[in-house]
Amino acid sequence: MFYPRIKTSALLLALIVPCFAHHADAQINVFACEPEWAALSRALGADKVKVTSATTAMQDPHHIQARPSLIAKMRRADLLVCTGADLEVGWLPLLLRKSGNGSVQPGQTGHFMAADYVALLEKPAVLDRSLGDIHVAGNPHFHLDPERMLQVSVALADTLAKVDPANQSHYQNNLATFTQQWQEAIQQWQQRSQSLRGKRIVVSHNSWVYLEPWLGLIQVATLEPKPGIPASSAHLSKVLTKLKQNPADMLLYASYQNDKSARWLTQKTTIPAVALPFSPSKDETLVQWFDRLLNQLLSIQS
Amino acid sequence: MSLEGLELSILGPAFIVGLLVLTTHVPLGQEVLKRGIIFIDLAIAQIAGLGVILAWRFGWEAHGWEVQMAALSAALVGALVLSWMEKHWGQHQEALIGITFILAATASILLLANNPHGGDSLKDLLVGQILWITWEQLLPTALVTSLILWLLFNFRQKLGNLGFYILFALAVTSSVQLVGVYLVFASLIIPALGSIGHKKSLLTGFIIGALGYGFGLIISSLFDLPSGAVIVWSIAVIALLGKFLIKSDRQFVE
Repeated sequence: MFYPRIKTSALLLALIVPCFAHHADAQINVFACEPEWAALSRALGADKVKVTSATTAMQDPHHIQARPSLIAKMRRADLLVCTGADLEVGWLPLLLRKSGNGSVQPGQTGHFMAADYVALLEKPAVLDRSLGDIHVAGNPHFHLDPERMLQVSVALADTLAKVDPANQSHYQNNLATFTQQWQEAIQQWQQRSQSLRGKRIVVSHNSWVYLEPWLGLIQVATLEPKPGIPASSAHLSKVLTKLKQNPADMLLYASYQNDKSARWLTQKTTIPAVALPFSPSKDETLVQWFDRLLNQLLSIQS
Repeated sequence: MSLEGLELSILGPAFIVGLLVLTTHVPLGQEVLKRGIIFIDLAIAQIAGLGVILAWRFGWEAHGWEVQMAALSAALVGALVLSWMEKHWGQHQEALIGITFILAATASILLLANNPHGGDSLKDLLVGQILWITWEQLLPTALVTSLILWLLFNFRQKLGNLGFYILFALAVTSSVQLVGVYLVFASLIIPALGSIGHKKSLLTGFIIGALGYGFGLIISSLFDLPSGAVIVWSIAVIALLGKFLIKSDRQFVE
């Protein structure tokens, strides 16, 4: 179901795109909202792109502080690569407006939202704000699913070629290399993670819905009563009783998150807590990052 | 250090908005200091935020100017209550303002207990970020500013208690959304305090504030730090330097 979507978007983009005359040796500027898209852009663009990331792995991508360099970088950007699905809704529209850069505004070729190219989970059937911090478009943390990452990489290579047509073959070659490496890595990860299948986990925030089915993890409880709402004591004691009757194997939380509630639960139940890297750190490739994530998960059970 | 953020089109609108905020906040801040009610800006801002949450709570999905109306009406009601309290329990006004602030803040928490989205809109209202301001936003800000200045300087004697509180509510509700609550507090209190006892206190206060915004924006560009926080420090440092310089100057004259 993704390919028709890619095709229509590609067709639409092709209609809008004016011809950008770029020298084959000039670098294009890529502005990534999160480190995972910076890493993917580097993998696909290599020496033809200059990539900056607005947030680091230790930052919550929902909120950032306005710094002058962010605006300057957005102003120079030829391509904007973000998650979309309202993840950056708190700051990206403001930054785009302030930058005044026409080529990365919504609807332009240089405006790449990864969420447009994958199917999202947890798309609410009914829009009810009382259900908590639910993203209208669906859960935006899909970069944790290696298969979806592959879908995004195809679309991104396509967009890179449109923004910088002179280097089209370069991007397609890099995509082929990346795809091969990534698929090999997937196979290896699947073998290594066999022992994780069926493990029961508790999460602090609902950030892992894409990782769970891929690794075969079973989510038994969430520390937040509703997404984005801090746990109340009543909810925590409910979770605690549930876990006493029906214990879980580990508790997952993102390393940028506060570990207070995770520690609290570990003390009460002796369920080991794991802080997972939610995004690649600076200059880390996607393969290295996911490897690290998996190692941390595997280290818990030995 | 980097020079890439040092562009007029990035820093220019922020600096002009800073100057506009200062033109109203320096005289208002002097009045606030005189009355000894320095936390009134926090209270008014929080009440304005509470207004938006209340509107949302009663099922009114406010957007754009409707949010402004909800915020402003709440701030005006707050101003009325505060001025009434000053009239009746004037000697405890500072304490009452503090209590009003925490009541408004915690009421927001209670109303939002089940909804993080409302929290976002509250945050937008209280933590405006000065760098996001564009040239287009300057015109409405300039209009509001001139209205306040016109009222402030033409009817100063007639304004009285109530008039002051209402004008203050209007000024703070608009400035908090542009530059955030920290910068509003800094623009009100620091230049006013730094210019105390000076002959041309209004001009001195304005210069302290303007230098603070100017240097703050440049420093935040050079070191790529969040601009609002840097400007707060820069205003404080300049006010302090000003105190030393003026003091030594006076000794020299004597």
